[in-house]
Amino acid sequence: MIKAQSIAVKIGGKPILHGVNFQAKAGEVTVVVGPNGSGKTTLLRAITDEVAWNGHIQINDRDIHDYKSWELAAVRGVLPQTATLAFPFTVIEVVRMGLLSGIHSTTDTLAEQALARVGLAGYALRFFQELSGGEQQRAHLARVLCQVWEPVVDGVPRWLLLDEPVASLDIGHQLLIMDCLQNFAARGGGVIAVMHDLNLTAMIADAVTIISGGQAIASGAVEDVFTDQSLSTAYHCQLRSNTLPPKHSAFILPQTASLA
Amino acid sequence: MRFWTSALRYTKTDMLAADNISGGARIVDRRQWARKVHILSAIFLALTAVISLASGPTGTSLWSALIKIVTEEPLSTLELIVLRDIRLPRLILGIMVGAALAVSGVVMQGLFRNPLADPGLVGVGAGAGLGAIFAIVLGGLVPLWIGNLIGNALIPIAAFCGGWLSTIILYRVSTRRGRTSVATMLLAGIALGALAGAVSGILVYMADDQQLRDLTFWGLGSLAGATWSKVMIAGPLIALAIIGSLFLRRGLNGLALGEATASHLGIPVQRLKSGSILIVAAATGAAVAVSGGIGFIGIVVPHLLRLATGPDHETLLVNAALLGATLLLGADIISRMIIAPAELPIGIVTAVLGAPVFLWILLRRRGLVDM
Repeated sequence: MIKAQSIAVKIGGKPILHGVNFQAKAGEVTVVVGPNGSGKTTLLRAITDEVAWNGHIQINDRDIHDYKSWELAAVRGVLPQTATLAFPFTVIEVVRMGLLSGIHSTTDTLAEQALARVGLAGYALRFFQELSGGEQQRAHLARVLCQVWEPVVDGVPRWLLLDEPVASLDIGHQLLIMDCLQNFAARGGGVIAVMHDLNLTAMIADAVTIISGGQAIASGAVEDVFTDQSLSTAYHCQLRSNTLPPKHSAFILPQTASLA
Repeated sequence: MRFWTSALRYTKTDMLAADNISGGARIVDRRQWARKVHILSAIFLALTAVISLASGPTGTSLWSALIKIVTEEPLSTLELIVLRDIRLPRLILGIMVGAALAVSGVVMQGLFRNPLADPGLVGVGAGAGLGAIFAIVLGGLVPLWIGNLIGNALIPIAAFCGGWLSTIILYRVSTRRGRTSVATMLLAGIALGALAGAVSGILVYMADDQQLRDLTFWGLGSLAGATWSKVMIAGPLIALAIIGSLFLRRGLNGLALGEATASHLGIPVQRLKSGSILIVAAATGAAVAVSGGIGFIGIVVPHLLRLATGPDHETLLVNAALLGATLLLGADIISRMIIAPAELPIGIVTAVLGAPVFLWILLRRRGLVDM
């Protein structure tokens, strides 16, 4: 389990998060949604220890400060919103960088499998910078997958922390990646993803947290959290939640002012 | 929803197909080629070293000396002096300095994530240059007992101290709450370089004709003053720095993804930055101190290798050390032979030969350079 309690973050003196409580269970896909600038990414960056934060964060019942950097790298992979790359590395070289934590011995096979998993088989020897934005994003995801390939090691769950993993992907690849995340969770790993697409979230999330104005205004199962009221309050517009067969998944429809 | 589930099935099928494709032969990539370049570079270095030992204006033959050694015939005094006390220390110094400059270039470019970075950027070059200029122009003011103690080593020692001092200043300026800002370091390095340039200008203005000539030669670099004592002074520092750089190779690869991502990969980023700066200051400081300001190696060698074998530091650092040493030895042979018995400063040779080759390669592989 990843547990964040009373997380407060200030950036440049401006408070971004005001005592957010958040938790995610291993074996589940937990999605964080919320409007632009609400603090979703900041919450993720607090959990990955990228920003200075106050509060308590535990990963697998252990305080985050008790982890050494390589121990953290061994239990969680992080996909940032945007990742840059200096120098003309090939795709396979970038994916191999995910193996830095030095756990795996069959490195090349694993890197190739990770590429195949994100739909980039055959891209290994292409230059990373020559790929499209969506392909680059998937290559980075392959790198992160490489880092925590087995979802559970020695009974300890590992985590994927992803900031908008499908932001620049077409619908087919969005579903491919979602399947990848669900598969990781189904095998015992934990996934925390910051997302914008509410319908995709409704489809794959086991738990959702809505962040708005630096606070967690709702969290729990999709059907409990995605109510007309909580969504409309969070996004400052009229939204209506409904369900559809076969699995009665929620879907969200925007309502224009006149319809509302 | 039905559309989504069927799309999912399609993508799953794609995935399975992809798995089958990649399940076959292992990917043959640049890493294997880079490992072959290790061997090629080592062979080239060995050949250049033999040529360097064999060539010189006195006409002393390495071959005949070797035959004498094998047949246990005593070498003549001239052969002994030329080979043991002139060419051999010069050869070793050349290898060390070339390797140090090229490895420093690789580390700096990796640290700054910028192919234009060179050791000059962290102030080592400027500081060392200023130290040397101080020693040349104001060396006469040094108390006699200190002069007797350090003898001819005044200029190297001053250059080394200058390099370190400026690195320490720069590191302090750009480090806040235990975190070093690479961007601040770059900008502060430019400011410090300008300041050092101004002070050097004042000293040059004060210098007499002989000192001006010394300054010019020092600035262009040379291995002419190679002695065993210089090898002993600079050798351990350079060797330690190069060995140390090998421990950074995975970290420098990760740093190409940015500091945040590197730390997500478990790389201790702050230690990597401090280590890199320490290594560059030691290697460049020692190299500049014993050979003057030899330009171009630190920027050309990493570039050539990145174009030829890729930017993977796993192989880049070793190849840079080998190629840097080979190129500097080659340039040194030319600098000794071209106007023998006089010598051309080696910096001129590295620039005259290196610049056009570099430009040609850049023109041919412009697409890669932009990445």
